[in-house]
Amino acid sequence: MTTPLLDVENLTISYRIGKRWIPAVRDFHLQLAPGHVVGLVGESGSGKSTVALALMRYLSSNGRVESGGRLAFAGEDLLSKSAAEMRSIWARRVKLVPQNAGAALNPSLKIGAQVIEVLYAAMGIGGAEAEQAVLGMFHDVNLVDPEKVADRYPHELSGGMQQRVVIAMALITNPELLILDEPTTGLDVTTEAVILDLVRGLMAERDTGVIYITHNLGVVAQLCERVLVLYAGEIMEEAPVDQLYAQPRHPYSLGLLNSVPRLGQSKADSRLHSISGNPPALAQLSSGCVFADRCEFVIDKCRVDKPPLEQLGDGRAVRCFRWEEVDASFLDPSVETSYQSSFHGDGEEQPGRQIDNEVGDKLMRVTDLKKHFPVAKSLGDWLRGKTPAPIRAVDGVNLTLGAGQTLGLVGESGSGKTTLSRLIIGLQERSGGQLELLGMDIRNSVRERSPDVLSKLQMVFQNPQNSLNPYLSVRQALRRPLVKLRDMTPAQAEAEVSELLRRVNLREDYADRFPDELSGGEKQRVVIARAFASDPDLIICDEPVSALDVSVQSAVLNLLARLQEEHGTAYLFISHDLAVVGYLSDVIAVMYLGQLFEVGAASDLFQPPYHPYTEALVSAIPVADPEHKAERMLLHDVLPSAQHLPSGCRFHTRCPRKIGAVCEEEAPPWREVDAGHAIRCHIPLEELSAQQRSFLRPEEIG
Amino acid sequence: MNPSSFGRQIAALRRFAGVLLRHPQSALGTALVFFFLFVAVFGAQLAPYANPNDQSHAPRVSPTMDIGALQLGEHPFGTDRLGRDVYSRVILGAGSIFRIAGLGTLISVLVGSAVGLYMGYRGGWFDELLGRVIDALLAIPALLLALVLVGIIRNLDFEIGSWQAELADNVVLLVIAVLYVPVVARVARSSALDIKTREFVEAAEIRGEPTYYIIFREILPSVIPALVVEASLRFSYAIFLVASLGFLGFGARPPSPDWGLMVNENRGGFYQLTPWALDFPALAIAILVIAVNLMSDGIRRAVQKGN
Amino acid sequence: MLKFLRRRFVFFVFTYLISSLMIFFLLRVLPGDPARVIAGGREATVEQVAQIRSELGLNAPVPQQYVNWLGSFLRGDWGKTIAFRGADNRELITQRSINSARLALVALLLSVPLSLVLGIIAGLRENKLPDVIISLLTLSVVSLPEFVTGLFLINIVALRWGRSELAGALGWWFPSSSAVPANASFGEMLPALWLPAFAATLVLLAYISRLTRAGVIEELKRDYVRTAALKGIPYRSVILRHVLRNALLPTVTVIAISITWLISGLVVIEYVFGFPGLGSLLIAAIERRDLLLVQAIVMVSVTVILFTNLFADLAYAALNPRIKLG
Repeated sequence: MTTPLLDVENLTISYRIGKRWIPAVRDFHLQLAPGHVVGLVGESGSGKSTVALALMRYLSSNGRVESGGRLAFAGEDLLSKSAAEMRSIWARRVKLVPQNAGAALNPSLKIGAQVIEVLYAAMGIGGAEAEQAVLGMFHDVNLVDPEKVADRYPHELSGGMQQRVVIAMALITNPELLILDEPTTGLDVTTEAVILDLVRGLMAERDTGVIYITHNLGVVAQLCERVLVLYAGEIMEEAPVDQLYAQPRHPYSLGLLNSVPRLGQSKADSRLHSISGNPPALAQLSSGCVFADRCEFVIDKCRVDKPPLEQLGDGRAVRCFRWEEVDASFLDPSVETSYQSSFHGDGEEQPGRQIDNEVGDKLMRVTDLKKHFPVAKSLGDWLRGKTPAPIRAVDGVNLTLGAGQTLGLVGESGSGKTTLSRLIIGLQERSGGQLELLGMDIRNSVRERSPDVLSKLQMVFQNPQNSLNPYLSVRQALRRPLVKLRDMTPAQAEAEVSELLRRVNLREDYADRFPDELSGGEKQRVVIARAFASDPDLIICDEPVSALDVSVQSAVLNLLARLQEEHGTAYLFISHDLAVVGYLSDVIAVMYLGQLFEVGAASDLFQPPYHPYTEALVSAIPVADPEHKAERMLLHDVLPSAQHLPSGCRFHTRCPRKIGAVCEEEAPPWREVDAGHAIRCHIPLEELSAQQRSFLRPEEIG
Repeated sequence: MNPSSFGRQIAALRRFAGVLLRHPQSALGTALVFFFLFVAVFGAQLAPYANPNDQSHAPRVSPTMDIGALQLGEHPFGTDRLGRDVYSRVILGAGSIFRIAGLGTLISVLVGSAVGLYMGYRGGWFDELLGRVIDALLAIPALLLALVLVGIIRNLDFEIGSWQAELADNVVLLVIAVLYVPVVARVARSSALDIKTREFVEAAEIRGEPTYYIIFREILPSVIPALVVEASLRFSYAIFLVASLGFLGFGARPPSPDWGLMVNENRGGFYQLTPWALDFPALAIAILVIAVNLMSDGIRRAVQKGN
Repeated sequence: MLKFLRRRFVFFVFTYLISSLMIFFLLRVLPGDPARVIAGGREATVEQVAQIRSELGLNAPVPQQYVNWLGSFLRGDWGKTIAFRGADNRELITQRSINSARLALVALLLSVPLSLVLGIIAGLRENKLPDVIISLLTLSVVSLPEFVTGLFLINIVALRWGRSELAGALGWWFPSSSAVPANASFGEMLPALWLPAFAATLVLLAYISRLTRAGVIEELKRDYVRTAALKGIPYRSVILRHVLRNALLPTVTVIAISITWLISGLVVIEYVFGFPGLGSLLIAAIERRDLLLVQAIVMVSVTVILFTNLFADLAYAALNPRIKLG
């Protein structure tokens, strides 16, 4: 390697909080050669976006790069550049693709004008020549109908299209360095797969050096050559991607890799490994290793001295005193890691309890459930005297759920899964259909339901931040359902609060804390405790871990699995993450545009035959295994609107396996694969099986 | 209330006061407002002549105050053309402006928040209808409405001592309360609309909590910061409105020591004779309005920082 | 867009009906007999009151009265004044409205550009010296009641400077009073106009500039501003093309709302300066208990405000690409 494209050494970045400067990123190193892709992985607060902005020299006014570091781009020292010099570098040589493409585009300028502006700033090209270049670039990022896109405003494009526009804006000047900051976060898996594919294709053709920032280990495995693992502002480990996944050298990397459920892994087989505790607060870092408090390999020395970033050769580096001993066998995946490292609940149970799909008592039956949202008449409708079609968010769903089972519900956003869950819990009123719980009909909305029914149905929400009232203490939050739904006396409730906290692995003194004194994971534990307080039979979990960091997710999943075993509670588990759903579910239902298209046991769902939509969802998952670069089945186009549904099979507009006119004209039949597994498709099952392949890794089959 | 939540509230208040007072402008404003409040409460003790309409002094005496020598003299702000002590009148006038603006604001905030919270949480036809009425009310400029209301009510004949007459005497206070109810309701409503989509409210609904519990226990605490800001803003507008109505002759009746009225009584040709009789009450109004503005700006800033 | 138009129009009609209803009932249903008030309170004889009752149509049922009244208002039949020697209400109000509009126009022309500039400067230099100065100014001096600033202007400018030699040399720019004949032409009125217009300008300045500042600060934090800066275009372009384009969009609405403010402010200002506008007419009408005139003036004000709001909504929709589909 002669002159690297980017050479960063000993970079420290601080933020001003009050009157102090807090170093958010410390001792950062990075070498990048042209044409290579390096991944920067970290949880929220790890400082990865700060690094991106510092590399661009675009820190906000309360941030600064401390002196003593080195930041060289193509041999030039960026830290000594003037504002004007930086502007010319920004104009064509270094580009950033930001996280939220929708917000990154000016809402009041047409797309074309915004991209032309880039060309003009970079090379002074304007007019027809620039327009041609922009259209060409739009074509390269697979935007259908470039002229039309250029003539639109940002809000008229879908999230995936906005992301392509932002990528086109970055690549149009053919930059030497491209920084992608979580470009697919917030997009559906299916859209994410398409964008990742696009980025990979575009990178292969160019000599651009790429830094890809993400929290998703799967994305890194699929896209990058080398990976830097960032934690609390420091590099923990650097390694070529295949080596990192095969043999991580840092306890944090090891823990992270093991805490993500693999596709096909089930709660019945094993608990997930989880990292205890929370990332440290930046303002109170100890002199020792930043990971010491959460590390299973910790020794006394770690708490006092900070380990250096040790170069191991072969492009590997690690910041740990005991890296030679770090080994996956050290981890005991069968024991649920207690949340507080100092505290162990007595709920350590034997994993592997089998839940019998067939025998389970019927807990709930959903029959032909519908939710149609009426659409207000437009002036045209009004004059013509017609009523517009309603939005059919949920359109005839049938489900049965056995006691103590988990039913996983998957689908893209807009598929109606959240609406379905809200109909069941009673936060929205259904337009038609029946709901039966333990053989009794239950009413439409929570307002009409008896306390008995209310106590049997509870919910865990996606966003722990908003799930707890910031003005009520944990004790108040937990006591209320006990008093309200279980008729407890204050003294009984008091005792039960402690018991509930113990069950979710929180210390008793958490009862007097307020939500702002809890981390995200702790909040979600309190929310789970609150849901269990009324001793329900069914808990609806709407994306309960998606707002949590990877290292905290697995602990919450383990907790849910254990509580289910202890209480025999059924879950309706909604998630966009198929691996997570697969891990926790006994039965999975796949939803598309308000209807179910496949229902089956979790173990069956990742093997052929699948419904083509399921196949696309499963293949789109970025698997955290560099060896596993599967051919994807990409879904182009966007989800059609639930107001103007496609005729025949609702999936036909996007189906890669569409067989002909029958798909457009007739609603597909349910075909039974075996007991409890059915697919709604025109293609005969044998044909599906013959065309499809498994996405499980060989060792996980059988 | 348990001790930990009480402690938290004290701490939050202390943080709030810290932010408010650290900013020099808002600290000054707050200090001045409290100074005026002190004058308003202890006016009778502070004024050298307890009767504001005592005409026994020599008329048209120039202010005897000497700032350099720190002396007030017999008539610090002079006397007006009728021989009334301007200093005593200004001090005694502070009480009514605080009482009218303060109570009016308080009533409007209490009623307005209750109405707005209910509208925002329940939604539906009630919210729709009341929302329209509020929009329509807000289309009429506050001062115009106040003038019309005060003008009419004051011209009605009531038996002296009857409750109607009592009400008519407090007409400005009532008008302020009535005018600001829809404004406060709108703020409370939009905050409630925001908070009610939070999952903790849904969790309460899933528990089957009654409406009053959800509104007062779950939603209200989160809305209070916005209401505090709105209340301070309303108070500053109320002071403004009381002074303006007084000046236009629609507030207190002569010979009350109302600041706005005093300004009006001494303008025009009289200004040439006794400029101080206009200048000092006008100055009092100016300083109070500025102080309340600075304070409410500081409150807004402190509340935003607290969130 | 059509849907938007329709919604705004329905809203407009509805609001108009409700406000007219409120104005009507305020003046008719409140305790006390309006006919007696008009006839002169306690001294009025029973016959006088009865005559006024029948003249005003007060013997019909109240809903009927409302319909009659709104109908004749919309037709332009606003009755005769009692207070101003039986002049026609409509002519009186039209003449005074024109005068007020002149005053408002001068005030808007002065205040809008000035407050936009101040607001933008303050927003771009948030918490820096220019912002602190501008904020302090708008918070304090400029937010004083109109009559305080108005009297200050009269006492200092008109009474003191107006008699100076300089003022004599400048001629008509220093009139001793703003009390001009109500039927004067714009040119004749101009010298009397600038002092009250300046007072009105101060009223608006605080309001518009503070909202503009808030808009600029909010837009500066947006992601797309970073995108624009990282395109490598000059700072000036980032601000003009990206920040202000979005920050000034709501200004249309702000100006419309400020007209509501201005109408209140003008009442006081016209009274202070003795200017023959709609506001001073309103005060006189209330003082002389001319209920029909009061009703008509308030209705005219509400009409102006609602039309301004409607116009602002339409302008906002036309300028904002995000609304077109809605």
